[in-house]
Amino acid sequence: MNRISIPKHEWDERLLQLLSSFEVYAPVENEFSCDYVIVDADTIPDIVYNKPKPVTPLKKFFLPVKENVTSAAKALKPVVILGAPNCDVMALAFLDEIYLDQEYPDPAYRRRRENTILISADCLSIQEHCHCTNYGIEPIGNEHSDLSLALVEEHLIITTYSKKGELLIESLGIVVAMNPEKNLEESLETLRTQVLDQLKKQNGELPDYKETGMLVSSAGDESWKKYASSCVSCGACSAICPTCSCFLLIDKPGFEKIRQLDTCQYPGFERVAGGEDALGDLSERFRNRYMCKYVWKPEKYHLKACTGCGRCIETCIGQINKNELFVELSN
Amino acid sequence: MNGNLYKPLKSELIKVINESPLIKTFVLVPEEAFSFATGQFIEVTIDGMGEAPFTPSSSPLKSDQLEITVMKTGYVTDHMHNMQPGEKMGIRGPYGRGYPVEKFYDKEVLILGGGCGFAPIRSLLYNLIAISDKLRKVTLCYGSKTPEDCVYKPYVEELRQTPKFEVLRSVDQPDENWTERVGVVTVLLDDVEMDINNSVAVVCGPPIMMKFGTMKLLEMGYPESDIFLSMEKNMSCGLGKCGHCMMGKYLVCKDGPVFTYDEIKDQPHIWN
Repeated sequence: MNRISIPKHEWDERLLQLLSSFEVYAPVENEFSCDYVIVDADTIPDIVYNKPKPVTPLKKFFLPVKENVTSAAKALKPVVILGAPNCDVMALAFLDEIYLDQEYPDPAYRRRRENTILISADCLSIQEHCHCTNYGIEPIGNEHSDLSLALVEEHLIITTYSKKGELLIESLGIVVAMNPEKNLEESLETLRTQVLDQLKKQNGELPDYKETGMLVSSAGDESWKKYASSCVSCGACSAICPTCSCFLLIDKPGFEKIRQLDTCQYPGFERVAGGEDALGDLSERFRNRYMCKYVWKPEKYHLKACTGCGRCIETCIGQINKNELFVELSN
Repeated sequence: MNGNLYKPLKSELIKVINESPLIKTFVLVPEEAFSFATGQFIEVTIDGMGEAPFTPSSSPLKSDQLEITVMKTGYVTDHMHNMQPGEKMGIRGPYGRGYPVEKFYDKEVLILGGGCGFAPIRSLLYNLIAISDKLRKVTLCYGSKTPEDCVYKPYVEELRQTPKFEVLRSVDQPDENWTERVGVVTVLLDDVEMDINNSVAVVCGPPIMMKFGTMKLLEMGYPESDIFLSMEKNMSCGLGKCGHCMMGKYLVCKDGPVFTYDEIKDQPHIWN
């Protein structure tokens, strides 16, 4: 791991250099939100650093909504994704456990993963439903990204975590040996502490990941029915979730297969040809999503299946707030 | 298996055997040698129509051809039932954890099967015949709705001539020629004499039969860890990724489809 600092205007010049050999994605603010765009020379100054949660979760870069998984792989231009918050980076690391497992590494996912340099950004502010720290995830970069960035006092503090990240920095002519000045490091530390305090204040009553699992396991049918009463099985919570990655295979002539993202929230998800459907009932489907994230996946995988981004709360047209549900269960 | 996990291996349908009005056996010759362990399943693609999981019903000792026995019960299987020799299907796999036959050594094996659940069992029986010197005995209890619905009739006769193997059958609705037991398959368990302390049980069939069969075996004194169940869920990708076959903490396609009862008894919706 190395830490470097570089003035923002110089960093912007380096980014311009990067555009010739990489397809670069970074968050840019629009009239109602902030989301990834393909960066060109004009958008470099508009890149938003250190603000949590672009609308699109990282998974969409690696698991498109729909793709042919049987056709021959097309050449890809190397990709840099810049500015991913750590909730999304940790969600992607969780998806790696599923899609890059030793027995059946997924070819399309692996190609995109290997083709991408992931640059995370510390969150130096919070949004209403952010709750990563309750689930043991810090809103700062770590070794699950190749590099991380923090914009402090018109300087980018860059931390390198992987060989891929180091090589990128070197290729941009940035000298890795330069350590950030002490006052920049101190300012960053102050900002980070403020963010941690804000998150603590915002989510003081919210149970942690493990406790949530116990609450979800022991909650009775009545709780699920109550909270599912405004659910319309639209599946938006799963579509926007950075860790939900279930899919459907659709057959096309020529023994081709299309992978389309799917969700257990849709009726018929588990129905078998004989007609049995373990998730036929809406409240069972609703419960299933939480059991999956907080009880079953933790038994199977190492990383968290919910990273506390809060997008599912923001997107729900039934106004379902899972955090209110968990606080209620804990009381 | 070929390079891409999702690309099926083309296989020629060389023969279709009518087992019952709703059940057919399809004999397939894959373009490349294809082997599996008994109890593992494969994904079968009907070109452009869909894909469904089946456990081969043929011997795991053969790699040049394989058989699947299929009940006509939905979109994909309707199409399969209309297929003729010479047409192509696609296969992927084999997937999952099959029957741990080495755990059956020196034991009596009680097998409880219902309807089309005989398919994985027949594959297991081929395997058990090959290692019968290591087994004490094998008792198959098989139930179906009517005598007409009984599958593998010639095979049952062969099995009855095989030393150490016995077959008991029941039907819910007999006809005038039926001379064997009448009633649901669990009635056959009243007729068997097993040394339960030196025995394992295998159950495969429709969910309702699996449930009551397992309950009866527990009543008989079989330990939960000696009851092997072949679970049916909506296995789609076969790779532990798509999530359709989730059964609590297990993905049936990868962790199963064969489980012992003690492994799954606390998971939700095991019988539906």
